Amino acid sequence: MNIVVAIKHIPSIADDLPVSGNNVDFDSVDFVLNEFDEQSIEQAVLVKEAVGGTVTVVGVDLIEELDNILHLAIAKGADKAVKVTADEPGADSHMQAKWLSEAIKGLSPDIVFAGVQASNDLDGQIGPMIAAHLDMPYIGGVSSVEVADGTATVNKEFAGGVGAKYSVSLPMVVGVQAAAKPPRYAPISKVRQVAQTATIDTVEPSGDASSGLTFKKMAPPVATGHAEMIDGSPKEVAAKIVELLKSKGLA
Amino acid sequence: MLTTVEKIIFILAALTSVGFTYHGFKTIVDSIRKGRPAPELKDIPGSLVKAGVAVLFQQTIFKARKVLSAIHMGLFFGLITYAFVNLTDALEGLIPGFDLVYGGKNIPFKFLPAGVINTFNLIADVMSGILLFAIIVMFVRRFITKDKALTFRDNILLNPKVLAGAQARDSLIVDVFVVMHVGARLLSQAYRLNEGPDPFMPIASFLNSMVGSSEVGVHVAWWVSLGWVMFIIPYLSRSKHTHFFMSPINLGLAKQNPRGQLDPAVPLKVIEGTRFDPGAKHVHDLAWTRVLDAYACVQCNRCQDVCPANFYQRPLSPSALEVNKRYLLKEATFGSHPEKLLLPLTETVISPEAVWSCTTCYACVRVCPVGNEPMADIVDIRRRMLIDGYEIDSGVQNALQSLATNGNWMSKGKRLRGKWAKEMEFPVKDATAEPVDHLWFVGDTASFDERVIPNTKMVARIFNQAGLDFGIMYKEESNAGNDVRRVGEEGLFEQLVEQNMAAFGKSQFQRIVTTDPHSFNTLKNEYPQFGGQWEVKHYTVTLLRLFEEGKLTVKNKLSNYKVTFHDPCYLGRYNGGFTAPRKLLELLGVEFHEMPRNCENSFCCGAGGGQIWMGKVAPGERPAENRIKEALTTFESNASDKKQLFIVTCPKDMIMYSDAVKTTGNEGRIEVRDIIQLIAEAVGVEEPAVAEAVAA
Amino acid sequence: MSNDILVITEHMDGKFSDVSFELVGKAKELASALGGQAVAVVVGGGVDANVFASDATIHIDDAALGQFNPEAYGKVIEALVKEKSPRLVMFGWTATGMDLAAWLSAKLGVPCAAYVKEIGSDLMMGCQAYGGKLMAEVAPEGDMAIAACLAGSFPAEAGQGSTAATATASPVDLGSLKVKFVEAIKPEGGDVDITSQTKLVSVGRGIGGKENIELAEELAQALDAALSCSRPVVDAGWLPRTRQVGKSGLKVKPKMYLMLGISGAPEHLEGMKSAELIIAVNTDKKAPIFNVAHYGATADLFEVAEAMLELL
Repeated sequence: MNIVVAIKHIPSIADDLPVSGNNVDFDSVDFVLNEFDEQSIEQAVLVKEAVGGTVTVVGVDLIEELDNILHLAIAKGADKAVKVTADEPGADSHMQAKWLSEAIKGLSPDIVFAGVQASNDLDGQIGPMIAAHLDMPYIGGVSSVEVADGTATVNKEFAGGVGAKYSVSLPMVVGVQAAAKPPRYAPISKVRQVAQTATIDTVEPSGDASSGLTFKKMAPPVATGHAEMIDGSPKEVAAKIVELLKSKGLA
Repeated sequence: MLTTVEKIIFILAALTSVGFTYHGFKTIVDSIRKGRPAPELKDIPGSLVKAGVAVLFQQTIFKARKVLSAIHMGLFFGLITYAFVNLTDALEGLIPGFDLVYGGKNIPFKFLPAGVINTFNLIADVMSGILLFAIIVMFVRRFITKDKALTFRDNILLNPKVLAGAQARDSLIVDVFVVMHVGARLLSQAYRLNEGPDPFMPIASFLNSMVGSSEVGVHVAWWVSLGWVMFIIPYLSRSKHTHFFMSPINLGLAKQNPRGQLDPAVPLKVIEGTRFDPGAKHVHDLAWTRVLDAYACVQCNRCQDVCPANFYQRPLSPSALEVNKRYLLKEATFGSHPEKLLLPLTETVISPEAVWSCTTCYACVRVCPVGNEPMADIVDIRRRMLIDGYEIDSGVQNALQSLATNGNWMSKGKRLRGKWAKEMEFPVKDATAEPVDHLWFVGDTASFDERVIPNTKMVARIFNQAGLDFGIMYKEESNAGNDVRRVGEEGLFEQLVEQNMAAFGKSQFQRIVTTDPHSFNTLKNEYPQFGGQWEVKHYTVTLLRLFEEGKLTVKNKLSNYKVTFHDPCYLGRYNGGFTAPRKLLELLGVEFHEMPRNCENSFCCGAGGGQIWMGKVAPGERPAENRIKEALTTFESNASDKKQLFIVTCPKDMIMYSDAVKTTGNEGRIEVRDIIQLIAEAVGVEEPAVAEAVAA
Repeated sequence: MSNDILVITEHMDGKFSDVSFELVGKAKELASALGGQAVAVVVGGGVDANVFASDATIHIDDAALGQFNPEAYGKVIEALVKEKSPRLVMFGWTATGMDLAAWLSAKLGVPCAAYVKEIGSDLMMGCQAYGGKLMAEVAPEGDMAIAACLAGSFPAEAGQGSTAATATASPVDLGSLKVKFVEAIKPEGGDVDITSQTKLVSVGRGIGGKENIELAEELAQALDAALSCSRPVVDAGWLPRTRQVGKSGLKVKPKMYLMLGISGAPEHLEGMKSAELIIAVNTDKKAPIFNVAHYGATADLFEVAEAMLELL
């Protein structure tokens, strides 16, 4: 099985995000791995552990810092890593999906995993776009994947525990909502060992695509309202909440 | 005295005993040698001598349980005396006419002046009484009053043999031995007194008055007394009382590095052809000095008494760890279960849950009279569990992931670290951009936690007021890694050290000051191993100096406060930082009361070693809650209507104890404050109302 | 090329989701400004399609479209969009829409905006990105665009009507699909239905661990409420998915929604913002939830919960 994971390196929303012009000031934010990609890497490794094969992680190197992420993925169980050297921190999903598709094509994947979404998917997610470029079916919102005999059985979640099971003849692209198990922890010593021994294949970006969106403005949302804040010690807060609920007949 | 036949039997028995003893101790030494290389020990003969002196004066046991320690002292001196007594007894048996009673007047050859012999007889006689008394106390304590300190809670993993009562059996054997041996010896002396009482042998004389003298009696009692010895010495190598021999050696080979410096995850010593995985999975993955710990331990459970995790009903007992190690080794080396050594320590010695309950407060190591380091074993076990992919607590995993990504455990962006400083009413220098005298290493909690930031800002104001030239490293500072290392994530620790070393490399400074005892510990004791040699000060020391130099002066004496002070583990027990905070409190003019558990004996708040990352877990009274009660009891015995304050010098303490005051329902009775808040009040520095309003 | 607006509606178990009506309502407003028609597209059977206030409704039914199938639905919508050449295609940024919008965009080379919260008559779109930390205003190039809109962005009432649907056969052959629907997954039986509760206590990442769920459960019981949560709590396995509120969970509208340790990611807000009384307790005073909640407190949720338990 050739298992491929397409990942996105995205600005961290743990910080306040500074804006420059009409977009995020990419020079002064930290980049992190999309949180759903942690799930999709885990799901890919789980599939490999179940049926064998190799896991190749592919990502676009936007700010020349992707190596750390790829090493982490290898430490978690991926076998190979490929980076598309773009050096374009603002590359949108359309561009990344195109470049990734070109890089993935040569790997003749049986199954491609991507995170179901990312917080900067302003022009849509890379998963379905890769599926479109590679002419494979796509199912997102997936929370478990089993592979047997060239067929994947996936559970897609709609909402509130309601979902559907699909069987898909491979190859396909899977948008992972959550891996079947919580992502494992990779001890840093292992990551550092990987960093010293692993090789990362490098490919040039190839192909061209654009979101076709022009950014006119980017700003923190204007708060339309604000909660009436209850001050005081936790005890006082608790007392006021209880009082409030009682006054409305809710407690 | 002995007949020829008896002599032959005695010599054969003695040789057999020596043979078994040799085999016993050789087995132990072989087992110890299988452990990993330990950190280099310097001047071993010197340390052994020092340990010998400490043992001789019983210095290390008086750290706790004073009365029982005195009893132990009696046992110790009694048994030392008996080493000589047994020797002279053997000579009495083997050499015709060698008889020490009545000052040795019946000895047919010139031996020693009667005065010396009488002194010896007196000591032996009195010590026999003390020994009997002491052993009876110990017996009563274990078997009659059943002191709970000698037991383990149900949720603690115990070796099946221990569960089946092996410890009690071992104790009983030794108790019976001492009673029989000493009793028989006294009796044999009593039987010898055929000329009436010997004033230098009061107990034997008293016995003589009851049993009279008897040649047969002498023989029988002599055989009982020395026969026991020949049995017990080889037996000791197979029981927990190996302690008699191994504890002085263990004490002499105890940790020499600073308390705050953990042993490396893999031995520094390179052994050709051997590759060590980090940490410990099996008992012989431990450094040999810590395999030795198991043999030195007499299972007194003093470490369990002081363990905050044990107090908190967690399944951890540092003592059980050593006890289990001991019985595991016994089964594997003396018994027929060598394969048990291949079982993971987490199945044989300590449960995984217990491993993750340790706060790394060092109280167990500090209190141990024989120099054991159960805490170091726990950290080694954690290290290997992490490498082996053991599923760790989700809170810890989140913290570690954030530390790897953001350099802090609170999932905050790096740029937010210096946000508090940017809100100050005066500029706070960026030490990575301009030279400063004091580089202030702020730490995660003080940088990010809304509950602590007001104190952080106050420290800045006081430093500023005192004209201290200081700066912080803003986004370049990463978590120092103290707790990361103690959680067992050695690789991440190294990564954090490298990040901080790079930041320090960019900065120009004379010394480091830190408000966080945890950062303080690792910067001071562990960074030097990575090339970071600086003067590192805790802010209490820096503040005290500022007062002493007159750069800060007390304008308002705070005599309206009644305070007590909690020594943070990583400032106090680890690094001896006891005096500066107390001197500061004295300068401020508060009414100061010491809690019963203070300084070295301080009781952990429960947050260290990664516990704070685990969120709230177990039910039951938390260590911090117990500590608040201790403070209130202290105040009760000094009643007055002054405001009662619990003073801390650690951001984690601020959080833990503020919580504990609330959860114990003691708001209004006691308030937790950082020492900086008192200093601000005394020096007359206030929070600017405007700046705070903006921040809010 | 037309100035029509196609709305890809979504339905399950014979019911259209709220977002379908919201989009149709907005499409009507935009279409009248642009001089085109708002066309609701209903794919799949087993539903009464005559419920929209659209200018027209196209109902494509086929045996292969009986259940949501991203491959089949994608092919049908692609063919329909090619045929109609609308000015704008609207999807919900939902479990189904997320499978289709970006795919269609890449397939047709048409601009696509996601996380859309606002659309102007000039088709300028306001997108809520970066976990709600930033709002972006984007303008799509060219004469066709795709908008994947966040649920709850527009009023649903404007989309409700009774336009008679035109039934149409599938414009493409759905004979050899790679994706096959196997079965529906229903929530595990026996668990509480949080959508029918009048009171909910909801916990987020701040609850810290599975072992702390008990405290929240106790509080919920004391308030005669049910316990619900945000996505991370479910992903971590602390509560079953049936308790999840939000985009990938359930939409709830209780009389009381007491939030403990939920910061308020846009995906969560989607599921609960129409609750009648929202009270949020969070240690981060800047948590976005405080812009939505009626009452808020920056405090430790454990302490508040414990103190409330004592009072109840």
